[in-house]
Amino acid sequence: MHVHDLAYLRSGDKGDVSNVAVMARNADAYALLEDALVPERILQHLDGLVSGPVVVHALPNLHAFEVVMHGALGGGATRTLRFDETGKSMGAVLSRMAVDT
Amino acid sequence: MSSTATNPCRLGAGTGYWGDMVDPALELLEHGELDAMGFDLLAELSVAALQRARLRNPEKGHIPDTAGIFAQCLPPARRNGVTIVTNAGGANPQAAARAIAGVACEQGDAELRLGVIEGDDLTERLDAIRRSGWRFTNMDTGEEDVDSIADQIVAAHAYLGCDGVIEALGGGADVVVGGRLADSALYSGPLMHHYGWTPQSCTDAQRGAALTVGHLLECGGASSGGMTSQWRESEEPWRIGYPLAEVADDGSAVITKLPGSGGIVNEWTIKEQMLYEVHDPRDYRLPDGVVDLSGVTVTELEKNRMLVAGMSAGPPPELLKVQIGYEDGFIGEGRVLLPWPDAFEKAEWCERFVRRRLEYLNVNVREIQLDHVGRNTLAGPSAPGATGDRDINEIELRVAVRTDTRAEAELARRTIVHLATAGPVGTAVNLPPPVRKVIALWPTLVPRDQVDVRVAVLRADEVVSHARA
Repeated sequence: MHVHDLAYLRSGDKGDVSNVAVMARNADAYALLEDALVPERILQHLDGLVSGPVVVHALPNLHAFEVVMHGALGGGATRTLRFDETGKSMGAVLSRMAVDT
Repeated sequence: MSSTATNPCRLGAGTGYWGDMVDPALELLEHGELDAMGFDLLAELSVAALQRARLRNPEKGHIPDTAGIFAQCLPPARRNGVTIVTNAGGANPQAAARAIAGVACEQGDAELRLGVIEGDDLTERLDAIRRSGWRFTNMDTGEEDVDSIADQIVAAHAYLGCDGVIEALGGGADVVVGGRLADSALYSGPLMHHYGWTPQSCTDAQRGAALTVGHLLECGGASSGGMTSQWRESEEPWRIGYPLAEVADDGSAVITKLPGSGGIVNEWTIKEQMLYEVHDPRDYRLPDGVVDLSGVTVTELEKNRMLVAGMSAGPPPELLKVQIGYEDGFIGEGRVLLPWPDAFEKAEWCERFVRRRLEYLNVNVREIQLDHVGRNTLAGPSAPGATGDRDINEIELRVAVRTDTRAEAELARRTIVHLATAGPVGTAVNLPPPVRKVIALWPTLVPRDQVDVRVAVLRADEVVSHARA
């Protein structure tokens, strides 16, 4: 199973920080994601893309998480050499992280 | 903008960025029974880029499309009494005001009252503020030495809150134009004016509603079917309806869109935008308050009609965010397409060609990016799958190089072009985009009392005659 099976994701940017909103599809998925969205695992999945640190904020009222990834966009939209300058696809990339069940 | 507290304030989303579609705004202005609409036209980098335009020509530095957008939007806005608030001023609010005033006068609307907000531009004041002992520490990197980029600084602008917007509307403005107004201030300003609130005096619930609703509207269609996981469910997305907020004075709001318009407003589109670029959801810092989303609820009332409640925000922070833009080298980039057979091996050959030729030409490559479009451009090393499929139909190799000088970036760009004739047989190359200058960003903070916000409200014909004088 992947994060994608449990949540909808959308990412945005501020400077070199990528901000991924992870919105669990239901309460059970939220519980699974609470265990799965660990900064070390996220950094491992995104090795070579994100240098970190990564901070995860849980929002139980919305069954959602804010995953804040520093050093994530190759220097930020205005200086990155990546095609995806603002990291709009970072949510999709994170959504492919495996989740143990 | 006179109303009683029992009438909800109706806010429509205009544009979410420079270049956005305008037809959803026109529909809302005509049929939305709106009190106000915001036009956000600035991204993080925009003001620095516009400052460079202003340095080349003092009449520029505002959003170039300002006149075009207002030529379309002023007639329905004026017909229906809708206030417009925009940050089209970019690095030159006066120039934007002249552009809008010119359009109004051409349309026979010389009495249009224009509010102009200035004071966000700190470019000329950085030194003085630093001499007072303030350090412009980089919020992202922790670097304290802004001197290290002093020679490269292009612009420095503070993000302004909605105080100036409220003052301009209180002075009778029909259109308010500023520079680096925070995106949400384009909506929280007219909302607070509607109810007689101010960021300093209102309750946490009222402030929370103003800032959260502003955030839900500031990206145009991004809460009504744009940038959404609900792309399959969105109805007739080619004629998307932009979001419309009905904000009650108890601090709750309904987010909807015009009946019959395309797009979608549901639990997911609202959550997606509410959490967009927020970072810490209990400490989302805006110039007008610190938003806490931990008590928010999102409830569907009916199709395309969502109730958002439990919004909250603490008082305005003492420090304002400042974005310093500085020049930081050049980027040359380009792409080539390699055909079957052996497309992958050809791509590797081209990568080697580029690296070795740049060495041979003594180009000081500060950074290089090599992507296989369709395989790893977005996911990078996290992309699964074989790298050596020898029978793949084609591979697009994308090369991007950052250098200190324009001449070196030009050499890098040329090297990619040269693959057309020096590369493997069958290599397809189109002319790459021009070399571009990098403006890097140094995000920092400044004490609020160092930012002197100035507001003027003038009739359109006065603005035009001042410009001629």
